[in-house]
Amino acid sequence: MRVRALPFLVILAATRAWADDASVDFNREVRPILSDRCYGCHGPDANKGRKAGLRLDDLAGATKKLKSGDVAIVPGDLEKSAMAKRIASQDPEEIMPPPELHRPLSAAEKDVLNRWIKQGAKYDPHWAFVPPRAYPSPAIADTAWAKDPLDTFIYAKAAQAGLKPSAEADRTTLLRRASFALTGLPPTTAEVDAFLADKSADAYEKRVDAMLGSPRYGEHLAVGWMDLSRYADTWGYTGDKPMFAWPWRDWVLKAFNENKPYDQFLTEQLAGDLLPNPTQDQRVATAYNRLHRMTFEGGSIAEEFRQDGINDRVITASYGFMGLTMECSRCHDHKYDPISQRDYYSMAAMFGDQNENGLLSYHGEVPPPFVRLYKSEADRRTESSLRSAVTAAETALADLTPSGPPASVTVPAPVAHFPLEAFTKSGVDNSVAGGKPAKFERRGSPEDLQLVPGVKGNAVKFDGDAGFILPEFKQLGRFDAFTFSAFLRLGEKNARATVIHSTGFYTGDGDATGVELLVDHGKLRWSMIHLWPNSAASIETRDELPVGAWQRVTVTYDGSSKAAGLHVYVDGREAKTTVVRDTLNAKPRDNSLEIGSRSRDAGFRNGSIDEIQLWRTALTAAEVATLHGIDFATLPAGVLAEHSRLRADPAYAQAWSRLQDSRRALAAHQESAPAFFAMEHSDLAPKSFVLTRGEYDKPDLTKPCEPGVPTRIHPWDESLPKNRLGLARWLTDPKHPLTSRVIVNRLWAQVFGAGLVATSENLGMQGDLPSHPELLDTLAVDFVKSGWNTKALLRRFVLSSTFRQSSTPTAEAREKDPSNKLLARGPVLRLTAEMVRDQALLAAGTLVEKVGGESVQESANRRSLYTYRKRTAPPDNMLIFDAGSREVCQPKRLNTNTPLQALVLLNNPGFVEAAKNLAIKVSKGAPDVSAQIVAAFRHVCTREPRPSELAALKELYATQKANPPQLTTTTPKPDAKPEAKAKKKPAVEATSVLPKMPADPSLAALTLVCSTILASDAAVTSR
Amino acid sequence: MEPSKPSYDSLMRHTRRHFLGTSALGLGALAMRGIVGDAQAATLPKGTHFPAKAKRVIYLFQAGGPSQFETLDPKPLLREKHTQPLPDSVRQGQRLTGMSGYQATLPLAGSFTDFKKYGQSGVEYSDLLSQTGEVADDLCVIRTMHTEAINHDPAITFFCSGNQVAGRPSMGAWASYGLGSMNENLPAFIVLVSQDATKDQPLYSRLWGAGFLPSEHQGVQFKAGKEPVLFLTNPEGVSPHARRGMLDALGKLNADQRAAELDPEVDARLAQAEMAYRMQTSVPEVADLSNESPTTLAMYGDSVKTPGSFAANCLQARRLIEKGVRFVQLFHQGWDQHGGLPGGIRRQCKQTDQASAALIKDLKQRGLLEDTLVIWGGEFGRTAYSQGKITKDSYGRDHHPRCFSLWMAGGGVRGGHVHGQTDEFGYNIVKDPVHVHDLHATMQHLLGVDHERQTFKFQGRYYRLTDVAGNVVKAVIA
Repeated sequence: MRVRALPFLVILAATRAWADDASVDFNREVRPILSDRCYGCHGPDANKGRKAGLRLDDLAGATKKLKSGDVAIVPGDLEKSAMAKRIASQDPEEIMPPPELHRPLSAAEKDVLNRWIKQGAKYDPHWAFVPPRAYPSPAIADTAWAKDPLDTFIYAKAAQAGLKPSAEADRTTLLRRASFALTGLPPTTAEVDAFLADKSADAYEKRVDAMLGSPRYGEHLAVGWMDLSRYADTWGYTGDKPMFAWPWRDWVLKAFNENKPYDQFLTEQLAGDLLPNPTQDQRVATAYNRLHRMTFEGGSIAEEFRQDGINDRVITASYGFMGLTMECSRCHDHKYDPISQRDYYSMAAMFGDQNENGLLSYHGEVPPPFVRLYKSEADRRTESSLRSAVTAAETALADLTPSGPPASVTVPAPVAHFPLEAFTKSGVDNSVAGGKPAKFERRGSPEDLQLVPGVKGNAVKFDGDAGFILPEFKQLGRFDAFTFSAFLRLGEKNARATVIHSTGFYTGDGDATGVELLVDHGKLRWSMIHLWPNSAASIETRDELPVGAWQRVTVTYDGSSKAAGLHVYVDGREAKTTVVRDTLNAKPRDNSLEIGSRSRDAGFRNGSIDEIQLWRTALTAAEVATLHGIDFATLPAGVLAEHSRLRADPAYAQAWSRLQDSRRALAAHQESAPAFFAMEHSDLAPKSFVLTRGEYDKPDLTKPCEPGVPTRIHPWDESLPKNRLGLARWLTDPKHPLTSRVIVNRLWAQVFGAGLVATSENLGMQGDLPSHPELLDTLAVDFVKSGWNTKALLRRFVLSSTFRQSSTPTAEAREKDPSNKLLARGPVLRLTAEMVRDQALLAAGTLVEKVGGESVQESANRRSLYTYRKRTAPPDNMLIFDAGSREVCQPKRLNTNTPLQALVLLNNPGFVEAAKNLAIKVSKGAPDVSAQIVAAFRHVCTREPRPSELAALKELYATQKANPPQLTTTTPKPDAKPEAKAKKKPAVEATSVLPKMPADPSLAALTLVCSTILASDAAVTSR
Repeated sequence: MEPSKPSYDSLMRHTRRHFLGTSALGLGALAMRGIVGDAQAATLPKGTHFPAKAKRVIYLFQAGGPSQFETLDPKPLLREKHTQPLPDSVRQGQRLTGMSGYQATLPLAGSFTDFKKYGQSGVEYSDLLSQTGEVADDLCVIRTMHTEAINHDPAITFFCSGNQVAGRPSMGAWASYGLGSMNENLPAFIVLVSQDATKDQPLYSRLWGAGFLPSEHQGVQFKAGKEPVLFLTNPEGVSPHARRGMLDALGKLNADQRAAELDPEVDARLAQAEMAYRMQTSVPEVADLSNESPTTLAMYGDSVKTPGSFAANCLQARRLIEKGVRFVQLFHQGWDQHGGLPGGIRRQCKQTDQASAALIKDLKQRGLLEDTLVIWGGEFGRTAYSQGKITKDSYGRDHHPRCFSLWMAGGGVRGGHVHGQTDEFGYNIVKDPVHVHDLHATMQHLLGVDHERQTFKFQGRYYRLTDVAGNVVKAVIA
């Protein structure tokens, strides 16, 4: 569809003459060759694949005597250096790199390597792994030209190539360029007029400062950060449910608008939860780590996806903050950069520090951990005071004096009792008067369950797949007391068996919720869960239940939301238990109790149950004992005293009721605020190990990994905490070689079209070398010194002489520097997907400028960063203009030309609508067609049309007006309501309805003129 | 010297060094252009590494994971052992999905449908694929496909892009990037999704995405109906004549801009707009099935008359490759029979059997089969045991990545051949495993591309469709 560019530069480079003894620069000339052709087999990867025991990435390795007796490099001695022989060889068995690599060395490259060996094979560290330092500004001929020290570096480099800076761009062009660079929108015609009229010396500075102060600035800067952070509005994967994430996006744009120092910006996102007394905003910032995709596809294995999520966090942070490709080290040591597999899993330990589930719930709850989003400080204060009230009520309860022993103990009547003597057609009968029978579940017929002799008469034996459901047993909430009692007989030592639960439909670990009694490797685990494992109260017996014997198992829950409120009794006596989780902080789903089975889970296979009884109260230990026929008089005094307290002490009853009321009030207040997923460190997080070949189910238990960083990039200061906060401190150490360079380079690219390092996504060994290394380093140092001041840096960029140059090249400049790497002229940018659309809306006068809030459909006419992003079906016109799907971190966008882009500009309903509205707007503004066209052109392209352009558009207008559109007579659809809110579950917008031309011939002709302007080069570029 | 391969970075850099427009070079040059850089392409015949046996691909992707036991891999033993548990010695502790992994028992399920031998080759097909059986001598059945993922999303992403991680280029995007289009009025990679399928598992645009390749290589979805390609149709009231006028005006604006700015990229943009204009004619033309003969239509079956049906899409695919489209990928959902498999797979085969066979016959009649590679298959297979209980006339099967079947035809493939052998339970591979990377390597090989040499440098690494693996399966090549 498009003819590929010829790599002219490469050919030019190859034909360039070189002197025999010209001195070789290791970083610039040698390392790229070694890295690209040699390191794959002779590089830092020690795990596997290092051939012949040779490593060429350091001098010691390269000069070592090999098993074969050869020495690859003898510095200064070409004859004795095996490497020189091997690269010169013609023998396919001998030659290096081997032919299978398909990347042979050119003559020029061989010459570089030979000269390097001759000159002593000096290794220099990779430029990007050495801390940046500031360089003095080079002396330049035209000192008056430079407005900022950065200009001197640009001037000097261009001068070396024989190029002089271009004249300053005209003011209109400059304003458009700066406006896109800083706000992502063109200036309005009024702004242009005001700027042109302002003759003061600092007119441009004033405009720049105004733009930096506009909320549009943060909206624009946020887009690139959203690409890097893979922000979207859905979870991705199968089903692609909505993901509630936009408060994080609002945090980002607010951070940019408030000019939050970049080191803080980084720290709060990576580790806001670990800061002392983190604010709600700092917790929201940490959602950065959690924006990766999550699946709820049936049958998915939680650990596999937990590891994938951790991997996503590691690589996103590596690209975003360090410009490194850490994912290479997931399976083996990095082939090029000094990052070992152990380094990778040390980073994984940083990012896997949560008590979390790898799977999303099928039911779509916010996956814990989460933070409550309160609208106001007052609401947050209310939460604190409600918490204090709970603590006070707990103390009051604890302070009560103990009661004496009871005179008698009576077991309350159960609300249901299933003797399990016989099956009816649909289930089993409840012997409590008026109680509803249980119904078969999972199979719907009795044939899967057996009646076997039980403790009293018959019992039921389960097959592991089928069970009962108790439809009346719903509303088992976290504040509802409950008791289940039955005789159980294990038929085997079940690794996992569900005895009872109230989860409802369960498709995997991500769904577990409600009450749950499991057999886990023979032990009983009793839980009340919001979502497992993060938000749950759970205990487990220390001893295994014996196999083959009937035992009465009674479990109680007192409605406290605490693990201490859970009890397990075996044959009437309390079992010793350990706390598995005590973190319940939200309500479970409300589903019926099910016995013996759970969808897609292991049921009570080969287990039997008899005499099921249920209470909507927590039986006391004394009652449980009595139920089992133990004489209460024989019970320990503590048990009896506790019974009296619970059943007969009005002071206790009142204090308990107050405590529960205070807990309910706190919960109600918390649940009035939306839950928002955030990063939260937990000591309950699983330990990190090196995973063999990166496979989730192959942890190498001999290689546990503490949280850590790749220390060969930058040393670790032992005084730092070994967690994400320490990572943030490490990254923002002014001496860190990558952090400042990466962000400076990325911001440079945003303003100047390409980075000083063209591979802005990779500053490692396989990345490009900087075009202006001293400038990049100096800017990086300045940036840190300025307090990581993003706005100040961008201000320098756009106020520089370099930025202000005209972008129109001379023929000579175009020949010498076709891609404008040397910046002897101003930057030319093809507008991004967002800019193209936002410009059209602004020009049409329909752009709804509201900062932040819920994501919306395109018809709401908001800026494109607010467009609802569904990962599996991203907005078509965005994809077509090179925006990504946001499924993974996207450090850079390509910039292509395709026919589909022309179709978007000319036919996409949004753009046609914009053309129509622009036509209406300008037709109202001036009676004269020529003036109307000029106005439309200025609204879109900022500048006035040149006479030939105006003539072409007028001709188009005349022809079109003479041939008015033939429209069908259907009534036109009313325009979509601007500011239409995204529905609860926003669908992808239907695009099948064709936009329609206005019937009025003049307006129709003007609409086509506007449409043509929107599709023109002047519209889609900033020059 | 060897020129550097075009990469993410060099494309960014050289974009302004574009050759302008397409007219000067014409189609020959389009076909010649860079598989590994244009300078080198001159030494490579027709942009390939070696002579291609296939010029085009039609991939009939059966999404959801068709059961091999009721289609292409007969297992009489399962009928004998129907309802008996899967022996642990067969399962060997391999992982199962969470859907049947906790099932109390894993009862083997024999196929409800019979198999018969077809053609001179005598290859066996189930009764559900009797029409496919009629072209058995043109087909090569691979019974030993295996993959790495066990859930739909990762598995279908892996199959379509060679990696479970989202964001890698799809098969068709690689073909477009490497070989380009043979028709400058149509995209090189077109995707057709069956509208008559049971949509049990969703599809995602990443399956035909360009990943890190330039977006021009992303699959363009053709839809049944008034507007086959998104935004193709002019707004109501804009006649082709009016559009021509707009493009003429646009041409003048851009010519003026180019003269003023000395930027050849302006021309590239105009060329794209002109191509869009040509697509407005060429796409509706190729999408119009009304001129097909009654005989042809009858061959594809009744449902060919339903726009967007699998049958209509098969016919559409033939029309597209006739026009020089490089890679056409059909997606037909609905093969995910965890339960009620007999009814489900009967429906699936009814929707696809006749048209798939008709496509082979149609291509053959037109002499296109010999250089068009056709592949039929899904992202994984299904288990030998039943998910859920076996009843008198029903059972289900869970996902099974360790072995499954697909068929290939045309484009240099050995017809009437069965490759690979699974054990008698259809659970493990006994002989000649074919990994997804191997299939990709073979597909690229048939297209004349060395899968190890077609690379794209991105984020410091040379990427290829086959990652770091893949062997060409020579035995399936004629």
